[in-house]
Amino acid sequence: MIELSHIHKYYNPGTVTEMCLFEDFSLQIAKGEFVSIVGSNGSGKTSLLNIICGSIPIERGSITIDGRDITSMKEYVRHQKIGRVYQDPSKGTCANMTILENMALADNKGKPYGLGRSVKKSRIDAYKEMLSSLNLGLEDKIHTRVGSLSGGQRQAVALLMATMTPIEMLILDEHTAALDPKTAEIIMELTEKIVREKKLTTMMVTHNLRYAVEYGDRLLMMHQGEAILDVSKEEKKALTVDDIMGTFNRISVECGN
Amino acid sequence: MALVISVLEQGMIYAIMALGMYITYKILDFPDMTVDGSFPLGAAISTVLIANGVNAYVTLPISFLAGLCAGTLTGIIHVRLKVRDILASIIMMTALYSVNLRIAGRANLPIYNFDNIYDNPVMNAIFPSGMKMVQPVVIIAVIMLLMKFLLDSYLKTKSGYLLKAVGDNETIVTSMGMDKGKVKILGLAIANGLVSFSGSLYAQQQRYFDASMGVGTAVIGLASVIIGMSLFGRVNLWGYTFAVVLGSVVYRACVAVAIRFGLQSTDLKLVTAALFLLIIVISRQLDRQGQRRVQKNLGNDKEEV
Amino acid sequence: MKKKIMMMSLSMILGLSLIGCGTSDSGSSDTDYTIGISQFAEHPSLDNCREGFLKGLEEEGIVEGENLTVEYDNAQADISQASIISDNYVSENVSLICAIATPSAMSAYNSTMNTEIPVVYTAISDPVEAQLADADGTPAGNITGTSDELPVKEQLEMIRELLPEAEKIGIIYNTSETNSVSTIATYEELAGDYGFEIVSKGINTTGDVEMAAADLVTEVDCISNLTDNTVVSALQTVLDQANKAGIPVFGSEVEQVKSGCVASMGIDYYELGKQTGKMAAKILKGEAKASEMNFETISEPSLYINTEAAKNLGIEISDDFKSGAAEVFDSIVVDEE
Repeated sequence: MIELSHIHKYYNPGTVTEMCLFEDFSLQIAKGEFVSIVGSNGSGKTSLLNIICGSIPIERGSITIDGRDITSMKEYVRHQKIGRVYQDPSKGTCANMTILENMALADNKGKPYGLGRSVKKSRIDAYKEMLSSLNLGLEDKIHTRVGSLSGGQRQAVALLMATMTPIEMLILDEHTAALDPKTAEIIMELTEKIVREKKLTTMMVTHNLRYAVEYGDRLLMMHQGEAILDVSKEEKKALTVDDIMGTFNRISVECGN
Repeated sequence: MALVISVLEQGMIYAIMALGMYITYKILDFPDMTVDGSFPLGAAISTVLIANGVNAYVTLPISFLAGLCAGTLTGIIHVRLKVRDILASIIMMTALYSVNLRIAGRANLPIYNFDNIYDNPVMNAIFPSGMKMVQPVVIIAVIMLLMKFLLDSYLKTKSGYLLKAVGDNETIVTSMGMDKGKVKILGLAIANGLVSFSGSLYAQQQRYFDASMGVGTAVIGLASVIIGMSLFGRVNLWGYTFAVVLGSVVYRACVAVAIRFGLQSTDLKLVTAALFLLIIVISRQLDRQGQRRVQKNLGNDKEEV
Repeated sequence: MKKKIMMMSLSMILGLSLIGCGTSDSGSSDTDYTIGISQFAEHPSLDNCREGFLKGLEEEGIVEGENLTVEYDNAQADISQASIISDNYVSENVSLICAIATPSAMSAYNSTMNTEIPVVYTAISDPVEAQLADADGTPAGNITGTSDELPVKEQLEMIRELLPEAEKIGIIYNTSETNSVSTIATYEELAGDYGFEIVSKGINTTGDVEMAAADLVTEVDCISNLTDNTVVSALQTVLDQANKAGIPVFGSEVEQVKSGCVASMGIDYYELGKQTGKMAAKILKGEAKASEMNFETISEPSLYINTEAAKNLGIEISDDFKSGAAEVFDSIVVDEE
């Protein structure tokens, strides 16, 4: 279980431009839960992910995973148990390395990167199998530089890399936003498949209200550092895009959007 | 013939330095000026040790270690003290100037009367007397190839992959649960180790150390890497490292040709600069053509995600 | 494919041009000589040395354009260049290499080590320190030449005579120039004998000279110059600062006096070059071997005086003193190259 308790986060603390983002914000996410998060710009949804990953510091409060306090843990240490896929497909992979090299790199996550050979012949078949599960034909292109793949292909590889090793949490940061609608659809289906297969605790920020409604066990709507809507289970299943569109429009108008 | 041998000797010695620059410039994308100090660092250490009776071969790993320390310090200044990359390396380069003078004890230290790695009883026994002229070039080639293959195999290790990744995309290193700062420091350390090692080979080939030996090292290294990658990188015979080695030899050859053809030495740098520019422009032209071709080929793939 | 061909042809052109020339010139008969002059940096003293060297050869009947072909290369103060230059001479199998200044001499010695080509050097302060000669002056190999060691003792005597009240002499030098470091040591050793104290300021680049000079002029009664390449390049800066403070600058060779130093007990590099040229002529004619000739120094230092510089600072120079000078300049000529 992931628990954020009494989080306080200010931007530019101590200056005239000081801005309060979270004030006494708390959130609990159960193990294996798939949460989709929507909200207007500046509502704090991406900041929330950054706080969990340790990419930005917080002023007060604590973050625990399965009772283990990670508040003061460095970003890179937290990532040993967190998988993250970014909006920008180039962030989740190495453009100048081949698919095989990228997979080998990710395969070692959580272990020391020593002087052993990175690509183990015995693992290549396993990589190919994972790639073929994407149904993109990438298993035949393992020696291709990732940089020459399309955005969707790269994002699929990034998703695979983020979930290859045992992780406590998967963070999806608008990971379909930079893709065309058709590709986004394919990536979303892949995400669903992987999350369900591996029973991953997942937080997905998205701008696409339909995805937020269709996927995930729980839906959060963020506004000005607060979760103004939090529905789960049966209640979420009954939810339609139109239902949340109303709420969303209302807060957007408030923000002047 | 002697000039060809000289070009090969110097080209291959500088190639090891260029391999270091390949790590910082091409892999880490770090403009590292430390090399102007770490190259003479290796030279200073090995000449002092040799002058004090230490076996010439033993001075090679010691020089490598010294360069490793210099690179680590540049890395720490950049990563931990958050000084901009080029500035951090210039600070280190400046400091090394004095350090080198301290190590050597003076600005110019000859070792004419001592055995070196090219000229010693063991090597003289191995090589027949008729091969005296090529003895150093063969020894340099063996050492240079050894370093190249060591670097190649290092870049295939897990640690090597991380190094490649950090220059490519820092975020992914964090995503892999590793400290990207440490990886950068490691890269700078290895790079300067190679540079210092090369300085040691150079001082022994020239049989002296001079405090001004390092001036322009970064430029030579950069030119070698860029010429190598531009001319030979796309063919990729034995990897990019081999392209860098060739680049270093070609650069030396250019300088030698310029001197050979009685070019006014005043104009030498200008001609080198012009040649350098020409190679970069041609290579970019070829790149563009290549890209157009790739785009044409990829045009069909666009549909499938 | 096109790229491959282009790349390969480029490498071949480079390779062939190197090999091709290596074999072309060979036929140097008994009376025709080809020599290579490897000069380390562009600099009036060293240029004088080169001209003197050719003059020395000429006086011995070896004349450029008649029975002598001269190849001249300047390393522009780049050591890797210096070694390519001497390697090039070796591949052309020249009759003799003349190396001007220490790094060029060291490179030339290294390049010719396994050959029969003799090296004659000049403008080296301390050939023993550079291991080009043994402590007793005998050559370390097939190499000999002339040293431009400064006559420090005579210089100190001269300063004492011109400035009876002076106590402190300032010297600016580049810490990485071996010649300067060893000369400073001599200065410090001998200064006490004449009641002087030496204040030295170490610098690294021409850019540092102005600050060092501005600082130094406040501490000392006069400045004495070495043959330090870095400082000599910025001599005008030193003179400016000294003139502002109203203290004299003493030079170390004739060019410096011409351009505004009050006086110098120093070396005429042209003469030094000439002496070197004569040594080279003996070697070329087969009268002597470089490996058997001890290096030489200028036996009598010459006095140079610039009366205008002295007058500007209110220093009286007696006619008696003037009569001992090799040359007296009555104006300041800033060398325009």
